[in-house]
Amino acid sequence: MNDKLLEVKEVYKTFDEVVHALKGVSIEARKNEIVGVVGENGAGKSTLMKILVGVYSPDKGELYHKGKLVPFPGNPKEAAKRGISIVYQENGVIPWLKVYQFLFLGHEDKYIQFMTLQKDSMKQQACEILQELHVECDVDAFMHELPLSNQKMIEIARAILGVRLEREDSDTTPIIILDEPTAPLTDDECKELFRDLLKMKKNASFIFISHIIPEVMEYTDRVHVLRDGNLVAQYDLSKEKMTEEDLFRAIVGRKSSEYISRSGDSEALGEDTILSAKNLTKRGHFYDISFDLIRGSCIGFFGPAGSGKSRIIRTIAGLTNYDEGELTAKEQMLKPDELPHVRLSRGIGYFSGETGKELFLNWSLSKNISIINMEKILGKITRVIQFSAERKMAEKIVQKLEIKVPSVGTDCYSLSGGNKQKVSVGKWLERNPDILLLDDPTIGIDVGAREDIYQVLLEMKRNGISMILVSDEPKEYYILCNKIMFVMDGRIQKVLGPEEFRKVMST
Amino acid sequence: MIQEKSMTRPKLSPEWLRRNMATIGPITFVIAVVAVFQIINPFFLSYQGFITLVYAMSYFLIASCGLTFVILTGSFDFSVPSVLRLSALISVMYIEKIGFLVIPLALVVCLVIGFINGILLAKFKVPSFLATLGISIVLEGIAWYLSKGHLQLMHNETFRSLATSFLLGLPAIFYWGMGVWIICTFLALATAFGRRTYAVGGNLQGAGLSDINVARQRIYVFMLSGFLSGLAGILYMSQMGGGSVRIGADMAIPLFASVVAGGTALTGGVGGPHRTILGVIIITWIQAGMAMLAIGQDIQMITFGLIAIGMSIATMDRKRIKIVK
Amino acid sequence: MNNRNSKNKVFQRIKQTLKMHPVIIVLLALLIIFGSIYPDRFFSPINIKSILRQFVTLMLFALGPTFVVLTGSLDLSYVGVWMLGGVLVWMVKPILGIFAIIMIPVVGVTTGFLVGVIQTKAKIPSFILTLSLLMTYTGLAALLAEGYPRAVEGYEFITAPIIRYVPSTFLWTIPIIAAAIFFMKYTRICVYLNAIGSNEEGARLAGINVDKYKILAFMLSGGFTGVGAIILFQHLGGSAQMELKLNTLVWPLVAIVLGGTPLTGGSGGPQRTLLGAITFTIFYRGLYLSALHPTMVTLLVGVLLIVAIIISARGLKGVTVT
Repeated sequence: MNDKLLEVKEVYKTFDEVVHALKGVSIEARKNEIVGVVGENGAGKSTLMKILVGVYSPDKGELYHKGKLVPFPGNPKEAAKRGISIVYQENGVIPWLKVYQFLFLGHEDKYIQFMTLQKDSMKQQACEILQELHVECDVDAFMHELPLSNQKMIEIARAILGVRLEREDSDTTPIIILDEPTAPLTDDECKELFRDLLKMKKNASFIFISHIIPEVMEYTDRVHVLRDGNLVAQYDLSKEKMTEEDLFRAIVGRKSSEYISRSGDSEALGEDTILSAKNLTKRGHFYDISFDLIRGSCIGFFGPAGSGKSRIIRTIAGLTNYDEGELTAKEQMLKPDELPHVRLSRGIGYFSGETGKELFLNWSLSKNISIINMEKILGKITRVIQFSAERKMAEKIVQKLEIKVPSVGTDCYSLSGGNKQKVSVGKWLERNPDILLLDDPTIGIDVGAREDIYQVLLEMKRNGISMILVSDEPKEYYILCNKIMFVMDGRIQKVLGPEEFRKVMST
Repeated sequence: MIQEKSMTRPKLSPEWLRRNMATIGPITFVIAVVAVFQIINPFFLSYQGFITLVYAMSYFLIASCGLTFVILTGSFDFSVPSVLRLSALISVMYIEKIGFLVIPLALVVCLVIGFINGILLAKFKVPSFLATLGISIVLEGIAWYLSKGHLQLMHNETFRSLATSFLLGLPAIFYWGMGVWIICTFLALATAFGRRTYAVGGNLQGAGLSDINVARQRIYVFMLSGFLSGLAGILYMSQMGGGSVRIGADMAIPLFASVVAGGTALTGGVGGPHRTILGVIIITWIQAGMAMLAIGQDIQMITFGLIAIGMSIATMDRKRIKIVK
Repeated sequence: MNNRNSKNKVFQRIKQTLKMHPVIIVLLALLIIFGSIYPDRFFSPINIKSILRQFVTLMLFALGPTFVVLTGSLDLSYVGVWMLGGVLVWMVKPILGIFAIIMIPVVGVTTGFLVGVIQTKAKIPSFILTLSLLMTYTGLAALLAEGYPRAVEGYEFITAPIIRYVPSTFLWTIPIIAAAIFFMKYTRICVYLNAIGSNEEGARLAGINVDKYKILAFMLSGGFTGVGAIILFQHLGGSAQMELKLNTLVWPLVAIVLGGTPLTGGSGGPQRTLLGAITFTIFYRGLYLSALHPTMVTLLVGVLLIVAIIISARGLKGVTVT
């Protein structure tokens, strides 16, 4: 039985003529189903969703609603008329609104008489819909008082309600897009959410965006896999037998030829452990993380988004704290809630590929490089900045990393992504910390710049800097890491060496 | 490798103008102001006129430098006028009893006030403009309490000579003002402290990741502002020879306007004391010029209010801020 | 059995109200303290009259800005609206007669519109914007009035006594407060203002035109201040003062914060400001009657402001504060 509710065919979307977000993607959603759309960061999922709800318009493509060709919606209200509505990943909830206020937010015009809100009928309607969707709560409570899974459910109820209030004909089934709904929830809350979703399936269809493979496997009926703006696979989970690893490989896999051979430096220098973690736990994010980082080696934490790998590295950096466990650097135990600058004084540097966070974009190159190397450019006695020393330091880095820039006094604003990354790496090269945490170091930059950065990182490793890597690019792990820890659901599932890793990850 | 690139672009291209507007703007403004007033009143740039300008500008400059550092970190300090007032009153009221110890006393008190401002922000997360607003009410109350509202006169000639004794044809306060300005510029541009200040204002997150103890830096910056406000107050008292709780009334907006007019943006991370001097010149010279033309306080207030708004709009880095309250 | 249940319910409601409005406890405590220290002076008709008078001034200035604070911004222009409005009334009286008083709300709403547009389009922080505007208005008012407070005749009926011991302006204020509270509870605009203050990004995602409602908030603020200033105009002697006193500016803020509307916005409203204004007035009058030097009282007000902000700022988890 073919009850296709919504179908998009061959959608193309390009931003600024450079970023090809979607290259001919087709997906379909059927009545009373939960269909998954999965892919890594940058695969094109959110662009596709925004097109469906009318925030973006596609360059090319066709939209079919209940089998009929229709124009793409021009704004969220038009999308709602067609039954399409979205529940955003974050920031969707307004904490200080009451439940019934939040449910009708944006649609109050249906409840206004003589300029005043008909609160009683609003509350009554709210009770009715919540009952229908099996959500239990007090419509007079404030949103922030409810547990997170309830909040999500009410967001979903709001989306369904929105469609019902705006739709053109009462036959239209709501199609609700859920953007990573489980991100802020604990395991139990997830289970509750899905239990309710399954009950709601009778009244609506859901498009479920996620990275979290176990959930997708368990709760969706069908799955579309996006990678780099293309639809690479489509599975009907009720019919086909798939394992989680199959799905994972579909999402992240690279052709085996894309792995360049490693230059042989897999032997770490010496045996001393420079950083060790025992049973690091942060409830809701990661559990029992233990490892020993040997000087001069690199450990990678690999896993799908949502696995907790980013949290782990950020916790070591000092950006968040941990609840249990021990972290020891250079034989000194660290306190769970130290700020990053304290961690830095203990020898742990944090480098994020998101240069907007790290760099001072309206500063010159030299200032960006010197800010964590102040000791080297201050006069011994006068503690004054020696500008010539600062400039020389920057020039050295520029030369080493082949950063293409007219002078070290240029503002970082105008640099290309790859060059910005190089500046960031360069300042750490100069700083020479004992341990460098790499958080998505090459995100969003071109291949050439990437290779340069890998070379620098490898050299830093040779000089004795130990590293921890977290990234979305499997190749990086292969090139840089001595040990790769596979993280899923917040726990270390497997430990692989680089060659094993390559075998597992090749498609 | 560094590419040798010869600057073939003509200097006065529109792009060059736009990028350097922050520097050209204030300078042009100053020239315009001076020209206008000079035409209207030929005594403006005379020796007497210049002395008047110096007297109007110097203590103001010192206070503005302090405020500049705070704004550089992205915060605000509304307590500057109140601190100035308190420091002035302390020096005039206690000089009979404890002699010149009033100076370190006043300065220490101001440092403490700055410290409190910093703590309110860093530890208690009170938005800086509210914290300093509240503190300035408290300080106003203290000022009233100490002086009972009466006019206090400074009789100590030595104290008065601090600001008013003449050296090379200019009053001492000129050298104080310039000296403080030079030191502040140096501090901002050539020390690690200065770099850290710019870092906190330029990219708060990045600063935290860059080996900077953000909370400590903020507290230091408020203490500096308090100290300089206190110094300005002492010199003010020395220059004026007397004052009451009315000192520093209506000073807040011109002070703020001078920092912003110089090119230091509210968003922080750009500008600095070297810029503020331009703004101070603009504001105080307009003030003095208006006084010379017998233009009333009312129009002055309108002017400064509009300048404050206008310059804020012009200097704000709108790209960086998504949500502004 | 039924009796017990309904008693429990009432108890529950009282507990809930107290939890949401802790300032009530402070208010009751103050009343008890001052009532026991000097019962005769505190509860005397004269003192009560003074309390009511002061309350009127405070409340009418604090009401408008409450709507702006709901969205997370600040509006400090109220004193300016009153001053400039007062002068404009004096200027326009010969032409419009008794209807000249309409100038004040006109100034209020226009100012609100101006502030709202500049704030949303040029992204200037509201407090510095409204503070600078306040300074401009003060100057403008002084300029137009040529420096003197200008008395206007013809509005004495506003202060003509109706009930003994009760200032008539207080009676006039009641409907305004009621209107504000009604506005808060029953209009869509206030739901949106709440939403914007609570989570501006979320409000935008929900399809609310945030800029438009922020401008409306400022206009609402100016409008209420304007209407309130009509009463204040006569209440304070039939002319607007020319001097900008820090206290006049800050006390309404204290009333808002004390009442429990957080400065980050998102909850609260005129009903809380009402409580805050009452509490503050009682606090002030009680101290005033004591042996404390009047300047000490001013000082304590400053401390009160800081303490109130610190307590209300406790709810700022993970918010970047500058």
